[in-house]
Amino acid sequence: MAFSCKNSSKFNGFSSCIKMVMVGTSAIMMQQRTLAMEASLCVKKSKKKGADSVTRPNSQISAAMAAVTPLLLLLLLSSAPSFSSGSRNAYNINGRVKIPQGLGLGTKGYALPGRMSNVKVLLNGGQNITFLRPDGYFSFHNIPAGTHLIEVSAIGYFFSPVRVDVSARNPGKVQAALTENRKGLSELVLEPLREEQYYEIREPFSIMSLLKSPMGLMVGFMLAVAFLMPKLVENMDPEEMRRAQEEMRSQGVPSLSSLLPGGARN
Amino acid sequence: MAIRSFFLFILFFSSSLSPVFSLYEDQVGLMDWHQQYIGKVKQAVFSSQRAGRKRVVVSTEENVIASLDLRHGEIFWRHLLGADDVIDGIDIGLGKYVITLSSGGSILRSWNLPDGQMVWESSLQGPKHSKSFLLVPTNLKFDKDNVLVVFSNGRLHAISCIDGEVLWKKDFEAESFEVQQVILPPGSDLIHVVGFAALSQFEMYQINAKNGELLKHESASFSSGFSGQVSLVSTETVVALDSTGSILLTISFQDGKISSQQTPISNLVEDSLGPAVIIPSSVSGIFAIKTDAVTIFIRVIGKGNLEVVEKTTHEIAVSDALSISEDQQAFALIQHASSEIHLTVKLAHDWDGNLLKESVKMDRQRGLVHKVFINNYIRTDRSYGFRVLIVMEDHSLLLLQQGEIVWSREDGLASIIDVTTSELPVERDGVSVAKVEHNLFEWLKGHMLKLKGTLMLASPEDMAAIQSMRLKSSEKSKMTRDHNGFRKLLIVLTRAGKLFALHTGDGRIVWSYLLRSLHKSEACQSPIGLNLYQWQVPHHHAMDENPSVLVVSRCGPSSDTSGVLSFVDTYTGKELSSLSLDHAVVQVIPLPYTDSTEQRLHLLIDADKHAHLYPKTSGALSIFKREFSNIYWYSVEDQNGIIKGHALKCKCTGEVADEFCFDTRDLWSVVFPSESEKTIATVTRKLNEVVHTQAKVVADQDVMYKYISRNLLFVATVAPKGSGEIGSVTPEESWLVAYLIDTVTGRILHRVTHHGSQGPVHAVFSENWVVYHYFNLRAHRYEMSVIEIYDQSRADNKDVWKLVLGKHNLTSPISLFSRPEVITKSQSYFFTHSLKAIAVTSTAKGITSKQLLLGTIGDQVLALDKRFLDPRRTVNPTQLEKEEGIIPLTESLPIIPQSYVTHALRVEGLRGIITVPAKLESTTLVFAHGVDLFFTQLAPSRTYDSLTEDFSYALLLITIVALVAAIFVTWRLSERKELQEKWR
Repeated sequence: MAFSCKNSSKFNGFSSCIKMVMVGTSAIMMQQRTLAMEASLCVKKSKKKGADSVTRPNSQISAAMAAVTPLLLLLLLSSAPSFSSGSRNAYNINGRVKIPQGLGLGTKGYALPGRMSNVKVLLNGGQNITFLRPDGYFSFHNIPAGTHLIEVSAIGYFFSPVRVDVSARNPGKVQAALTENRKGLSELVLEPLREEQYYEIREPFSIMSLLKSPMGLMVGFMLAVAFLMPKLVENMDPEEMRRAQEEMRSQGVPSLSSLLPGGARN
Repeated sequence: MAIRSFFLFILFFSSSLSPVFSLYEDQVGLMDWHQQYIGKVKQAVFSSQRAGRKRVVVSTEENVIASLDLRHGEIFWRHLLGADDVIDGIDIGLGKYVITLSSGGSILRSWNLPDGQMVWESSLQGPKHSKSFLLVPTNLKFDKDNVLVVFSNGRLHAISCIDGEVLWKKDFEAESFEVQQVILPPGSDLIHVVGFAALSQFEMYQINAKNGELLKHESASFSSGFSGQVSLVSTETVVALDSTGSILLTISFQDGKISSQQTPISNLVEDSLGPAVIIPSSVSGIFAIKTDAVTIFIRVIGKGNLEVVEKTTHEIAVSDALSISEDQQAFALIQHASSEIHLTVKLAHDWDGNLLKESVKMDRQRGLVHKVFINNYIRTDRSYGFRVLIVMEDHSLLLLQQGEIVWSREDGLASIIDVTTSELPVERDGVSVAKVEHNLFEWLKGHMLKLKGTLMLASPEDMAAIQSMRLKSSEKSKMTRDHNGFRKLLIVLTRAGKLFALHTGDGRIVWSYLLRSLHKSEACQSPIGLNLYQWQVPHHHAMDENPSVLVVSRCGPSSDTSGVLSFVDTYTGKELSSLSLDHAVVQVIPLPYTDSTEQRLHLLIDADKHAHLYPKTSGALSIFKREFSNIYWYSVEDQNGIIKGHALKCKCTGEVADEFCFDTRDLWSVVFPSESEKTIATVTRKLNEVVHTQAKVVADQDVMYKYISRNLLFVATVAPKGSGEIGSVTPEESWLVAYLIDTVTGRILHRVTHHGSQGPVHAVFSENWVVYHYFNLRAHRYEMSVIEIYDQSRADNKDVWKLVLGKHNLTSPISLFSRPEVITKSQSYFFTHSLKAIAVTSTAKGITSKQLLLGTIGDQVLALDKRFLDPRRTVNPTQLEKEEGIIPLTESLPIIPQSYVTHALRVEGLRGIITVPAKLESTTLVFAHGVDLFFTQLAPSRTYDSLTEDFSYALLLITIVALVAAIFVTWRLSERKELQEKWR
């Protein structure tokens, strides 16, 4: 149904030879014949750093191919991120998930085990689910033209869903945009917007936190009363002090009866 | 006054903002538990690697591909494929790659065996739909590449094992050709593809495995036709059954020549048996046929001579063949005998001799053996030992070795249909004994460790010790009811028809019961469990009764097959009784009435719209008669887009004089125009939800009255075009309409249209609000909307004096037939993720503020405060509104990582979230299930009514000691001072 373009090389960083096998059967010719085409193209590449360096050779290939097979509405893709290819009603979406290394969790001493193998890529709310290859590439096969939503589920990272437009008129033209911040993507390379820390971080022990706790406040208040009150009393006018003491003596020891209404009179 | 106190109350709750649910890393596992499952195993492949840990790779009916430890049954790694991505076959290639074929043979993936990383993925297309086969030949090489042979969608592929590249392919385009087997004779470069064409034609293709060239094509015609599957008895012979199922056809295609022989089954077995089916097996020279009652094993001798080797009426399961040496194949047979199973391992060419014969005691609650997988190992004395993996009727997986069950996995729990809860028994004398600390030293040591922990002086080892101590010492796994209501039993019904009771404390299985009523029987061909209901919840006067649950099941997939009810005691896990109904069960309505033994009344609606009352007792009937005119219900007809309201009419008229059967009448119907609207979601409030207050105080000391009715229904409809997947429609031709319908009168209280939006809709209804999640095509983002509904007819009760003097209408009875004056408020927000499930927290008294629990597409559960979905949010709230706790309006809802209830875990394949109130008002119990299970406690407004787990008792003690010391010191000081005073 679709042109599936497979790339045999894994981009090992050496000059790689991209071999493409293209098989195309459009919906109409499906029954009558199968059109198989093989093309081998070698692209010298010094060293692959990012996705940008891959797209360039690819666009060259696609130009060459389009010249050879103008009738076949084809677009090249393969492992270069972004862009789809396909026959009239089914396309492939290819992309890449990139998780920067040494970001947060990794540096904190524990890395999530098998972090790449637990990443899932979901199309249209789980209609299709795919997984990442070791180099982070993924692809969805046989996707109809239209506007799609790609979500990445990775524990520990927050990915924005991506809106992907697969155009039927000019196949292979893929437009992608992050839905969270409406940022357009020139190629389908998905990176986490931020990391997710699921646990509260324990505050290290400090005197302040101890003092701020209810018990600390209680002790603090007690101490204040115990040591500051006498000081206040000392600062009082001796005349007044005497009067107060006088008063207290006249009342005697405060007893329960004196507290009761009417008890004060006896 | 009351209003004031409310205001204060709300203030009190709103003071604790933001990350309400948050957890320290060392608190993981204190309140929550997480269990990982895989589902019913479909296929298992043993890893033959000599070095390293022994593994078995399995694929399951839940679309899980997993690598299990053969020693303990633990999961090394696991991947859950998409719902439509059904696994067709798995195998191990080159000893280090797991190859899976899925999605009807159109996706081929390779996984790294040690760590589960996907290595490559290929999409295989073909001209037409067909059976799919995955073959991993050991010796077929192509340019130093190991080759996989895949037949799928009418096309044969040879695929490189290293990178998934298609080396060659060959189409089988003949219109009617149906492939039955793809055979790779060992040691040759040929592939045989055999199949049927035009029902009576046998076709054989011989293909060069090196380049896909068609070498030979032979066909032969059989007038009697074929039925069912074929069984491969050797690399050049297949056995098939004719269309009547009574004649065996032995077809051999040696050297490309087709020859055949017909043997009527009646020649082999004397008594007539009726139509038979072939049980596919890969054991060379032997195949099995099965009729209604008998399983017959037949040996093929020479060219098409058949001989019966065994005939058995027992349930029997056979494994695939396992080649143990160059020319020897072994296979395992399992037979049932009451409480035991007999395992025999035989050589393929020697039926009478047994390599191994063992009996294993088997729990009756596991049912029959459904599948057997055999593996061998070499013993120290260089003889062969065998281990078998068996899949039981309840979907559990067991490993048998040397007559013992080495490990077992309860994988039935991966497919939960329904959940309910039950209380544990009340603690009585002798029921349980409180554990006393062993000795003083231990006790002191523990407390020293804890103190070190609080002072942040503990080393990692100490931390681990503290953690394990906390887990052990907590009383959470006791088998009695606790004061806070945290300990309960979760009763779950699985797809296999088994009930499990899980303890909420640690998630262990307290009991399990394979429902006898869900067993296949003559009357009930394919029983399926539907729902669980609380049947008897004893409290008050029926305290001595054990609580029980009602399991409603049905005898077939269609809704007009007759129903079965079973009643199960939740303390003992025994079936009290079961009822085979003579009517269907379309709808079950638990009524809010109980009879004298606390049995809850249930109304079952059958396909003919008769209502049946259960329990069938006179007491229940008299209660029911009293409330006869107050019972209303509704039904939703998805296909026609009709919602109907019903009420009871009179006793059943007609053939049966059953006083528990009632006729019903239609009260109203809402018909949605089928060309513009299609119902996709209906939600009502939970029956047992408690609402604490009807009034809501808003910022300017005004009161709003919530419109609280149990009979509100939320319905979402979409444009028929937009009912498909995302991206299938343009925003212009898609819309979503949300309705609030009163189910007693059929009155539409509110209707709102979201243009350019589509489903799927996930909604939750609670108190007077509904929150729903849908997709906005214009913004291409998910959206969540909230609708709150308020009662205007009570708005003039604001005057406090009226309340004081009793001149309010709050206590006047409400009838839904009087036209309600309601106003609604709504607001929409963007939300990042797709949802799989949505729920809301529920507490005992409904005082605690609510949180929404969102099951995201990443299989996590996110808690989101309801205050984020408050229609009164504005961009710039006034000071008063801020005091009330209104959050400034933002475009999208925040996702705070600390408020993931599941923290760093995933509830793989999440399907549902259930919330149960604890006795403690602040706390709600949350159970999320899918392929995994997860349970935790949540306190949406923090635990304001109890001390938290990390409350420092040590600090409290120190404080008290310090205070006492201070008292003594000050006393002494004052005494001395007084003395000085006196001397002066």
